[in-house]
Amino acid sequence: MTNTLIALVLGLFFGLSLQKAGLTKYHKIVNVFRFTDFAVLKFMMTTLIVSMAGLYTLKWMGLITFPGVPATYIAGNVIGGLIFGVGMAFTGY
Amino acid sequence: MDWLKEQFKKEEWSPYAAGAMLGVVGVLAVLLSDSLLGASGAFENLAGTIGQTIAPQLFDNLYFNYVMPPGLTWSGILLVGVFFGGMIGAWSSRTWKLRLNSDEQWKQVFGPSWPKRWLLAFLGAIVLEIGAGIAGGCTSGLAISGGMLLAPAAFIFIGAMFASGIATAWLVYGRRY
Repeated sequence: MTNTLIALVLGLFFGLSLQKAGLTKYHKIVNVFRFTDFAVLKFMMTTLIVSMAGLYTLKWMGLITFPGVPATYIAGNVIGGLIFGVGMAFTGY
Repeated sequence: MDWLKEQFKKEEWSPYAAGAMLGVVGVLAVLLSDSLLGASGAFENLAGTIGQTIAPQLFDNLYFNYVMPPGLTWSGILLVGVFFGGMIGAWSSRTWKLRLNSDEQWKQVFGPSWPKRWLLAFLGAIVLEIGAGIAGGCTSGLAISGGMLLAPAAFIFIGAMFASGIATAWLVYGRRY
């Protein structure tokens, strides 16, 4: 129950951050691939840096253990990524 | 406090500010729920539920039994939040409105037809979901959630995603690129 509530609240902030960054708009997504608007990259890289710093600090303090790290299988990651990029550039999602 | 309200009403934030907020959300997800943020996986779990009800034999395979077990998962609930979170975002800046096709740039490239926008979005989303399924995640579930744990898979995925995204945009936009 608590877990459901946590997911719901975190989801609210997830959606809010995407919307406020303008990433719910087609042109924002596709323009990063045209090198005319780098909002997607700025957003993604900031998220990565903040969460990396937070998680590695918490891990170092012994407060968390990392959940299952996504598996690396190069062929799958590459082929999946290539197909994904086509969909992303087409839909703007 | 007033300053916070003022910020909340703004239609668009700096991507750095919004990104930092999502970063905190990502940390909290691990800290509070031992979970990673994701968007594409929950659809596969739900598809599994529907599939196992309609065509149990077709969906009785390794993928839907073990890799993506059916059901409403943690990230499924997260998505409900995402939907309403986006709505709150639009509502707070007074830009909430039902639209069939609102993007000016899309209209310039593909024309004003909204069914075309919906059809292309539907087909494109299928491609996107298949890609995410093969790679093991999407922009949130693999690129961001994997990246923050420094998983090599995330950075391979980001590279591939941008390579084909750039190529696709180049093909779609042609001379206007």
